[in-house]
Amino acid sequence: MHLRVNGESHEVAVDAERMLLGVLRHELGLTGTKYGCGEGTCGACTVLIDGNPTQTCYTPVSAAVGREVTTIEGLADGDELHPVQEAFVEHTAFQCAYCTSGFIMSSAALLDRVSGPDDDQIRSALSGHICRCGAYVRILQAVRSAAGKTGGEGGAR
Amino acid sequence: MTEPRMQENVALSVVGTPRWTPEPDPRGGPGDPATLLTIDKNGGVTAFSGKVEYGQGIRNGFAMEIADELDVPIDSVNIILGDTALVPHDRGTTGSASTRTVGIQLRRAAAIARGALIDLAATRLEVEAGSLATRDGQVMIADGESDAVSYANLLSGHTLSLAIPEVVETKRVEDFHLMGRPARRIDAVSRVTGSTKYAQDVVVPGMLYGKILRPPSYGAKLQQLDTARADRVAGVVSVVRDGDFVGVVAEREDIAEYAIEALRARWEEIQHAASDLNLAAVLKEKAGEFVTLRDEGSLDSAFDSAERAFENSYFVPYVSNAQMEPSASVARWDGDHLTIWCANRGPFTERDGLVEALGVDPEQVRVISMDVGGSFGTKTATVSHEAARLAKSVGAPVRVAYDREEEFAWSTVRPAATFDIKSGVAADGTIVAWDYTAIHAGENAFRGQRGADTPYDVGNVRIKVAAADSPLQAGSYRSLGGATNHFAREVHMDEIARGIGLDPLEFRLANLSHPRLRPALTAAAEAFGWESRASRPGIGYGVAVGYDAGSFTAQCVEVSVENQDVQVKRVVVGFDCGLVVNPDGARNQIEGSIIMGMGTALWEAVEFDGGRVLNGKLSRYHVPRIADTPEIEVVFTGDPETLSSGAGEPGIVPIAAAIANAVRDATGKAIDELPIVPQL
Repeated sequence: MHLRVNGESHEVAVDAERMLLGVLRHELGLTGTKYGCGEGTCGACTVLIDGNPTQTCYTPVSAAVGREVTTIEGLADGDELHPVQEAFVEHTAFQCAYCTSGFIMSSAALLDRVSGPDDDQIRSALSGHICRCGAYVRILQAVRSAAGKTGGEGGAR
Repeated sequence: MTEPRMQENVALSVVGTPRWTPEPDPRGGPGDPATLLTIDKNGGVTAFSGKVEYGQGIRNGFAMEIADELDVPIDSVNIILGDTALVPHDRGTTGSASTRTVGIQLRRAAAIARGALIDLAATRLEVEAGSLATRDGQVMIADGESDAVSYANLLSGHTLSLAIPEVVETKRVEDFHLMGRPARRIDAVSRVTGSTKYAQDVVVPGMLYGKILRPPSYGAKLQQLDTARADRVAGVVSVVRDGDFVGVVAEREDIAEYAIEALRARWEEIQHAASDLNLAAVLKEKAGEFVTLRDEGSLDSAFDSAERAFENSYFVPYVSNAQMEPSASVARWDGDHLTIWCANRGPFTERDGLVEALGVDPEQVRVISMDVGGSFGTKTATVSHEAARLAKSVGAPVRVAYDREEEFAWSTVRPAATFDIKSGVAADGTIVAWDYTAIHAGENAFRGQRGADTPYDVGNVRIKVAAADSPLQAGSYRSLGGATNHFAREVHMDEIARGIGLDPLEFRLANLSHPRLRPALTAAAEAFGWESRASRPGIGYGVAVGYDAGSFTAQCVEVSVENQDVQVKRVVVGFDCGLVVNPDGARNQIEGSIIMGMGTALWEAVEFDGGRVLNGKLSRYHVPRIADTPEIEVVFTGDPETLSSGAGEPGIVPIAAAIANAVRDATGKAIDELPIVPQL
């Protein structure tokens, strides 16, 4: 099976029904994408497929064939972090950071799609993600700031 | 996986006990002397601790403390954590104790090292040590013209080994450059690029994938097992059976999962009478002996003389840590030596458990705890035992990683608890009698004792706590019994205030002289604007105070309630943990504590029946999401001259009660148990 991940081509011999997450992590060694729930409800396994946030624990690998997969490892441009990654650093928008890859991928997709999203759009775009450490205040600040907003409202509704 | 090694080219090392507190530490002894800090020939600083990074930023906190005390750039400080072959045994990462016991000792070690470097420079430059200053890894004459000499240069040709004396002069607060100021995490870039390695991510050469056959319910015994179908699955290396322990080892994780499903097992299940529906009665029935934590004055005469008496019962169910990273371990045997890569908060505890279970010597087991993807108290050690047994059986490294349902069913939960409180007040609103009885699930009575005592002024008081046999495996959780005891006490405080017609803030202040808790409460109330709040149907306000891990906190909240839609709009926190090493890190912890506590207040409860967890999926166990995020403001009220106390846990202790009190204010509905939303 032929996959394009982070701009590189890979030939993988796996069952078409196998979930993309296991292929990324165990066959391609891209462990930045995480397993969290196995039912597409926590968002830790999110990557972009043709720019769309996709929960890979629930997506068969066949769904990625012929498409461009971007994982957290492919988001930065060399040493230059993506603006969302920069903002997550700036606002320490994480604690254990196990969920962070997923949040960053969905945030990057949002900012790609919507310029200057409002708080409701940010909350809605990230509603499929869980940060159990509860870094939500900072995640909101980081995404606002990456979106070019001032982000000084500290999580106010 | 590369294994961290002890640093080479050590020029200076500081040896001491890994833990230190100014007073005897009730949470355990200081530990055996070990190397705590080294400086290599190039000036690189390395510190060693058995603590583990699981999101609290302790690597950052330690690095700040050392860099500040030693006057070196923070990026020259390397912190090695959680590897039993390299670090001292300073107890597990529990009780919000890292900064207050290990951090302070690392500061002391750094101060000794700095003193020795100044002495070397004094000899070299032929000046008085008192005339020298340090900055950026160099020693220089404080107000002279001479060139600075680097630590590396000073140490050239020396090998120093220093011990930490009883009395060490550490820097004064006004001389701090780093501590007390918000700091970015030094590990931030690896966290946002996905390069941090968690236990789930560990790969070692030749590693195989293991999966365990789980019984259908707790206590079930394996009667029959037919492995024929699993044996035939391509890619299965072995089906391992040892009594009731059955696992599959395969070349890939998906194959192991498939093969487990292909096993045909018959189980004999046992009867389980307890469920989440009858849990309060079960705990009362199974309560063990009560431990009296405090018994002062005369309750009988106090109740006789009280103007009003109040009596009520409260209940808190089991909740799950539900940390994002399910438990995982990789085990590798090299001859009779075992190496475990895992996600345990207590690497030495995990090692000792493996030593006992496997019948080997401590020297034969090395536990390397990776950066942990959330814990809050859990991370089962069982997964390491399972990996070790499978790896031994197949003669190759084996990884075992729990799926989410295994994590819900086979890791530990926060103890459920029941509370009975009787109180008496005088006509002026003074509490004159307080009779508190708590029963916490679990074999460990200590867990339920945390936070059971009242911080309010009351002369006639009795605090009794018992542990009860637990239907589910009760374990650690953020602040343990602290949060559940606080829920009962602080909700009861509101009941009294309502009963005697006093404002809940005013009533608390009338009974609270504690020198650190009272200022935290007044600061929170003032920043919140408690006096100008305007309760109305659907909008409510609540307040609660708490103490935990040596720190003191008070929280004021605003909620909106519309049927079962409860939104926590705003939380203002007063917080005293003494010296705040990294205000941004502490704030992050407090915010997280509040979000987590909101889940326990509003939605979370483990449902179980017949020895099975019924809602063991994240789609069925409601944890807070980003849309639930309130505005959170933190006011630090501690004295920076007071040694740091805990910041990771105390934030959670009052929040459930504050929310319950606010929901009561908004709806008029009494909230005596958690979670709140199903009762609305």
